[in-house]
Amino acid sequence: MIAGFFAEACGVLSGNKMRSFLTVLGLIIGVAAVIAIQILGKGMSGAVGGVLGSLNDHSFFLFPNSRQADFTKASITYKDIERTKELFPNIVAAIPAGNVERLVTSGHEHARLGITADSDISFAAVPFIFGRDLSREEVDDSAHVCVITNDAWKRLFPDGRDPVGESLRVGERRYVILGVHDKPTQGIIPVSFGGDVSIPYTTYEREYLRSRPLFAARFVVADASKLADTEIAVIAFFKSAKQGRADYQTFDRKSFSTSVDAIFGVLTAVVALIGAVSLLVAGIGIMNIMLVSVTERTREIGIRKAIGATSSQVLAQFFIEALLLSLVGCGIGLALGLIAGFAINRFALIAISGVVSPVPWLQSVAIAVAFATIVTLVFGTYPAFRAARLNPIEALRYE
Amino acid sequence: MSDAILLQDVVKTYRSGTLEVNALRGVSFAVGSGDFVAIMGPSGSGKSTLMNLIGCLDRPSSGLYRLDGVDVSLLDDNALAAIRLRKLGFVFQGFNLLPRTDALKNVALPLFYAGVPSRERERMAAAALSGVGLGGRGRHKPTELSGGEQQRVAIARALVNDPAVLLADEPTGNLDSQTSEEILALFGQLNASGRTIVMVTHDPEIARHARRTIRLKDGLVVADEVAGPRLAMPRSAY
Repeated sequence: MIAGFFAEACGVLSGNKMRSFLTVLGLIIGVAAVIAIQILGKGMSGAVGGVLGSLNDHSFFLFPNSRQADFTKASITYKDIERTKELFPNIVAAIPAGNVERLVTSGHEHARLGITADSDISFAAVPFIFGRDLSREEVDDSAHVCVITNDAWKRLFPDGRDPVGESLRVGERRYVILGVHDKPTQGIIPVSFGGDVSIPYTTYEREYLRSRPLFAARFVVADASKLADTEIAVIAFFKSAKQGRADYQTFDRKSFSTSVDAIFGVLTAVVALIGAVSLLVAGIGIMNIMLVSVTERTREIGIRKAIGATSSQVLAQFFIEALLLSLVGCGIGLALGLIAGFAINRFALIAISGVVSPVPWLQSVAIAVAFATIVTLVFGTYPAFRAARLNPIEALRYE
Repeated sequence: MSDAILLQDVVKTYRSGTLEVNALRGVSFAVGSGDFVAIMGPSGSGKSTLMNLIGCLDRPSSGLYRLDGVDVSLLDDNALAAIRLRKLGFVFQGFNLLPRTDALKNVALPLFYAGVPSRERERMAAAALSGVGLGGRGRHKPTELSGGEQQRVAIARALVNDPAVLLADEPTGNLDSQTSEEILALFGQLNASGRTIVMVTHDPEIARHARRTIRLKDGLVVADEVAGPRLAMPRSAY
C-alpha cells in the first residue's frame, strides 16, 4: 500500500516536473549550503590542526610581549633558558628559537640554507624520508649532526641518492646527515622557523649563538597536563630575571585551539541559523504548493473518497507527496553540498594546510535526513490534513 | 429474495444557520437484489440527497438504512468508506475519472484502496474493461477516449470490486442520444446478469429503461411504479 502511494506520488510529481523542481529549489539550496559550510568548518578545524601539527602538545613558545614600549629589553639569553631546566623539573628541553642563514656545501653542490636549533623531540611532527631524527645523546653531547628537509636534500643531492651518513659543510664545520624529512607545511599561521638544516640546539648555541640575545625560545615539557602552570612559572621567572622591567608571553597549541574553537562555535551557530531560516522558507514553499495542489485536486479527492478511500488513505497520499518532495530536495541538496564542500576542502584548505580532513559523511546525511523529516512533518501535515478532511459530496461538486 | 437496499422513514435535514431544510421527509422503500430502479424527480425533490444517502456519502438524520443487510445509518466515516469500497459502485454524470491516469489504473483504483496486490489489480481491471467492451483501451488516458468510452471506464471501475449495488447519477447526462442508448443497453445487460442498479435521472426516456421508477417530490416518495415492457421482475415487500 505504502509502495503504491509512493508510486502514485512519483507519477503526480513527475507529471509536473517544473513545479516540483521549483518547489524543492529552496530546500536544495538550503541543505546544500548548510552541508557545504559544515564540511568547510570541519576542513578548517582540520587545517588549523594541521598548521599547529608542527607544534605538539608537549611544547610552548616564550617570546617578549609585543605590547611593551622597549622590546629590546626583553631579549632572552641562552643562559636563562638553560636555567629553567634546573628550576622547573617539568621542562625537559629549552631550545633557543633561531635561524641563521649559511652557505652549506655537499661535494660540488652548495646552497644558502637556514640552520635551526632542534632537539630529539622533534619540533615538527613530519615523516622522515630517509634516516632518523636527532637522539638524546647527540643533543646532550652537542654532536655535529643534522637532519635536513627534502628541499635541502633536493638542492644538495640532485641525483636523489640516500644522503644518510654523508656530511654537510657549513663554514669549517661538518655535520653528519642523520635523516631527511618533509618540510612542515607553513599553513595559515607559520609556527615553524623555516630552517632547512636542524642541528642539536646545544650545538647551535655553541656554534652560532655564543652570548647573543635570543628572540624566542621553545620549551618541551614532560607532563603535558601541567603545561599551563609551567608557562606561568616560566613567564614569572623571566620577568624576575629582568627585575619586572620586561614582559613575556607564551603560545601553545592548546590555548590557540581554544580560541579557534570559539571561532568555530560562532560559525556553527551561524550555520544553524542559516539552516533554520532556509528550512522555514523551503518549508513554507512546500506547504504553499501542497495547499495549491490540494485545492486543484479537490475533485480528485472527492472521486477517491466516493470510490472508498478512507480519510487516512487520502492523508497518506498527500503526506507521501510532501515527503517525496522533501526527500528529493534534501537528496539533491546533500549531493550538491557534498560536492561543493569536498571541492573547497580539496582545492583550498588542503592546499593551505596539507591536512586532509575526513568529509563528515554521516553528519551530512544526518543533516539532510533531519531537514527532510522536519519539513515534511511541519509543513506537509497540514495540507494532507486539509485533503483528508474534505467532504466527498462537496469535493465532487467542486469545479 | 433479499433486499439490496432497505430505507425506512429516512429523514434528512440540513441546517444552514438558523434555517432548516428538510431534504427528505420520511422516505421508505426497498430495492430487491437484481432490481433496476430509476429514481426521478424535479430539482429540489431530494433525489441528490437520496443518492448521497444510498451511496453512503452521507448519513440520514433519522430513519433506517440497510445496505446488503448492513445497517449503515450509524456507521462512522471510516466504516462508510469501507462500505463504499466493497458494496457500492458509483457512476457519475461527469464520468469523474482521474484525468492524468490511464483507463486501466482508473479502473484499478478501488482495488488499490482495497489492498489488492498490484499484479492482481492489473488482471482484474483488465477483465473489467473487457467486460464493458474496452479490452484494448487500457493504456489510454481519459482525454484520449470519447464520452461513451469514458463512461464505460467509469462503469468498469464501479464494477471492479463486485459491488452489491451499482449507483448511477445521471449516467447519460453528458452523452449524445446514441451513446446514451449504448450505455443504457450496457446497464440492461448488467442487470440481466443479476446486477442491482439504482439510477437517478430527470429524463423519463432514460427512466423507461429501468424496471421500476420511484418518483420523489418535496422529499417524499409520490409514486412507485413498474414501468416499461419488462414486467416480469421480482418485487420485494417491505
